[in-house]
Amino acid sequence: MNGNQYYLNIFKVTENQLKMLTDTALAHGGDFSDLYFEYTTYFNLLLKDEVVSSGGFHTDYGVGIRVLKGEKTGYAYSENTEMADMMQAAKAASAIALGTSGSCTYAPVRDKTYDLYPMAANWRARSAEAFLPFLKELEKEVFSRDTRIIKVIARMSDSVSDVMMFNSLGELTCDTRPMGSVTVTAVFQQGGKTENKTASRSFRMGAELIGPDLVRELSDEVVKGIDERFEATRPKGGQMPVVMGAGASGILLHEAMGHAFEADFNRKGQSIFSDRMGRQVCPKGVNVVDDGTVAFNRGSGNYDDEGVPAQKTYMVEDGILRSYLHDRISASWYGVPSTGNGRRENFRYNPIPRMRATYMESGEADPQGIIADVKQGIYVDEFSNGQVKIGEGDFTFFVKSGFLIENGRLTAPVKDINIIGNGPQALADIVAVGNDLKIDNGTWTCGKEQSVPVSCGMPTVLVSSLTVGGE
Amino acid sequence: MIDNNEISIAKFCIDSALRQGASGARVSLTQSIIDSCMMLNGELDKVTHSADRSIYMYIYADGRYGTFSTNRLERDELEDFIGKAISMVRMLGEDLCRTLPEAGRTAKDARTGLELDLYDATIAESESGTRLERTDRISIYRDLTRKWEQDGYLIADGTGHEYRLISEECEYTESFEDNYVCDSNGFEGRHTETSFSAFCEMTIEDSEGNKYSGFWWDATPKFSELDLKGCSARALDKAVRQIGPKSRRGGHYRMVVDCNAASRLVSPLFTALNASSIQQKMSFMDDTLGKRMFPEGFTIMDMARTAGKAGSRLFDTEGVATKDAPIIEDGVVKQYFINTYMSNKTGLEPTVEDISRPCVMPYLKDEVLSLAEKDLSLEVIMKHCGSGVLVTGFNGGNCNPATGDFSFGVEGFAFSRGKVTHPVREMLITGNMIELWNNLIAAGTDARSSARWQIPSLAFEGVSFSA
Repeated sequence: MNGNQYYLNIFKVTENQLKMLTDTALAHGGDFSDLYFEYTTYFNLLLKDEVVSSGGFHTDYGVGIRVLKGEKTGYAYSENTEMADMMQAAKAASAIALGTSGSCTYAPVRDKTYDLYPMAANWRARSAEAFLPFLKELEKEVFSRDTRIIKVIARMSDSVSDVMMFNSLGELTCDTRPMGSVTVTAVFQQGGKTENKTASRSFRMGAELIGPDLVRELSDEVVKGIDERFEATRPKGGQMPVVMGAGASGILLHEAMGHAFEADFNRKGQSIFSDRMGRQVCPKGVNVVDDGTVAFNRGSGNYDDEGVPAQKTYMVEDGILRSYLHDRISASWYGVPSTGNGRRENFRYNPIPRMRATYMESGEADPQGIIADVKQGIYVDEFSNGQVKIGEGDFTFFVKSGFLIENGRLTAPVKDINIIGNGPQALADIVAVGNDLKIDNGTWTCGKEQSVPVSCGMPTVLVSSLTVGGE
Repeated sequence: MIDNNEISIAKFCIDSALRQGASGARVSLTQSIIDSCMMLNGELDKVTHSADRSIYMYIYADGRYGTFSTNRLERDELEDFIGKAISMVRMLGEDLCRTLPEAGRTAKDARTGLELDLYDATIAESESGTRLERTDRISIYRDLTRKWEQDGYLIADGTGHEYRLISEECEYTESFEDNYVCDSNGFEGRHTETSFSAFCEMTIEDSEGNKYSGFWWDATPKFSELDLKGCSARALDKAVRQIGPKSRRGGHYRMVVDCNAASRLVSPLFTALNASSIQQKMSFMDDTLGKRMFPEGFTIMDMARTAGKAGSRLFDTEGVATKDAPIIEDGVVKQYFINTYMSNKTGLEPTVEDISRPCVMPYLKDEVLSLAEKDLSLEVIMKHCGSGVLVTGFNGGNCNPATGDFSFGVEGFAFSRGKVTHPVREMLITGNMIELWNNLIAAGTDARSSARWQIPSLAFEGVSFSA
């Protein structure tokens, strides 16, 4: 990380000017104000039809100014950091305090700080030329893995964000956040049928991400299970036990339970968990975590977007609901410290409670034993397109691949089905947790009002009954 | 509004790109202002003001291509930015299919941005007090709590279910967007649009502690056409109608899809009709151009040039002129969406790059329809179908772009003799897009006039439901 002066120089402001801005923002009597400066460079390349024929870079620069009065928010931003324009935005945000009653205390935050994603090779120092051989090598390696492949599409992108946050408590926090992502899709043809598979990796790290290890890892994954994909059919639908494979099944945890633990939904009474704090929500021994401290993880941040240091938050500990995910507003409302979950897409948005890396910790069961215990059910290991209704807790997930379980063994492959259930009920119906937690490092992005990078993980888990869509 | 100085900046970018070695360039300059006001339980909760101005550049050099954007619009910074952009383009692989559209295909009639009558000048007079007052008009919280305080609970019309209100969230948003596009082939086009929207989400709790939520919205280019007052009552009605859901046994049922949810079943068709999907072998509509793939009498039009209607546009992002044209006519596929790049790649005649304002035309199986004679509302369609499942929303799911196989979570109601009997929960539908649409029973006449996509209520025979 760089020193504060580096960031003050980027945004062409002084600490005195920062103070003037927060003072102006509070001129109408707000309780708290903060500034979020951001300079982001974004770069991307696309390989398609055997040539890297498209790419580009993009820059974004500006400052968001927020005023809080009680739990009420005023927000405005400026795309330049001329003092006059920032003052105008501060005045616009300050209007929230006019005619708004109530107040809250926003306390300074002091906690352990991290350096979770030092860049060995800064993306900004590399040109496109450095990455072209990587994409070509990735394409070549994928083609070499299976003669049925007729197309390979490979994308890489990186971004570096310089972020500076200052608030009316006098806290100045700065961070440089890298992100590198690579996605490869292979299109297969066999006997007149077409199937495609995608593999991706995304990390908060520098250009050292790009190399032969990543080529090998993505190539392995993108061809894995393609035979089964061609053979796969839709199973007979109905209610049945579901074994969720380790890794990407964590997206189910994110959607079906994680959102309902976000404190804004609970503060408003809308979440199905809003009156269950301190109560048993799943079997003893189950721990559900939202973690901003995993080194190089896509969902991690040295600080959240309110300047609160990274934390690891146990939402469910030994089966008991222990904590919601808080930003400063909900933390003040509940009278607890922020959990460092105040996140935003960029300076154009005000922060709200968002997940980071959400996962269930390993249990003690042997994954093979979990499958062996199921007489008739389904095993799922690849998901997309999850959705949840926060109030009702009902969720639906599209399963890209999995297997039937018959008499304790994986048998016929299945695909293109949904599973549907109710979050609290599914948590309560967990009957086994494997000892094989795996974090999925794909390009997961959460879309609650704004897009933010996240990740997820799960050990192998057995839920005694969920509805599976089928023929 | 974009002013002459900003237009000169866009043209400067074209000149700069050509001067620094590009063979062609297109620049899209966008200015937007969005103001939102949100209320939670009848009290102001959040006020936001957004003002954006950015440039997006498409640069062609030495048979190569790249895209670039920035919100730093000082000329000296842009000059440097464009120089670096061209250097990067030159590092990429050659692809001679990347070209600007021919000048003859670009729109000539989008000079002021106001041609489509999508701009409401009253937005300039709106201020924070006005927006707050409009947000307050959406809210019915105070009326509801007054009743609640009297009786201790609320009673649902029709069903008599008791419930209490957990939260009401109302949002009023007004936005303005001005987009100016020019290219090095001489194209200049402008699109100016305002939007006024009202939104409400209600969360309630029944007497057993189960929560339900419902939302409603309205959005129009002109404020005078916006239905502010109706949102909350409709949102509340949607929440209340869900009380007491029952599971329904899986099986094959007639499915009626409410017009507010029906676009979910139409969008996979447009994705599959895009030449990019077809060229990448990821389309279930490959090799269907000119073929009858859908029932006779079934038609989807692209009504891109309807004045005063959201979704209309005179040119696509390449600057290519749109036109009102059939996409599927009488069951026959009439058009793929083919941009310049895909045309050069595939040899197919270029069209437009994607759908603008699709309109599913009225349809009733085995009957010749005259729009003037038929009023195919949701109620009429349900009566026509007799019994089945009325789908009012989708919850997750996917459609395989290569095969058209789909599986969606659905929410809605069982109905019998044309009348809703009870809400259903945790149901899924599965099938194949082509088969689904070939089992179409009816497409109504009730598409919401404010919607960008004019998709009416739809009915299908024999859909597979799991529960």
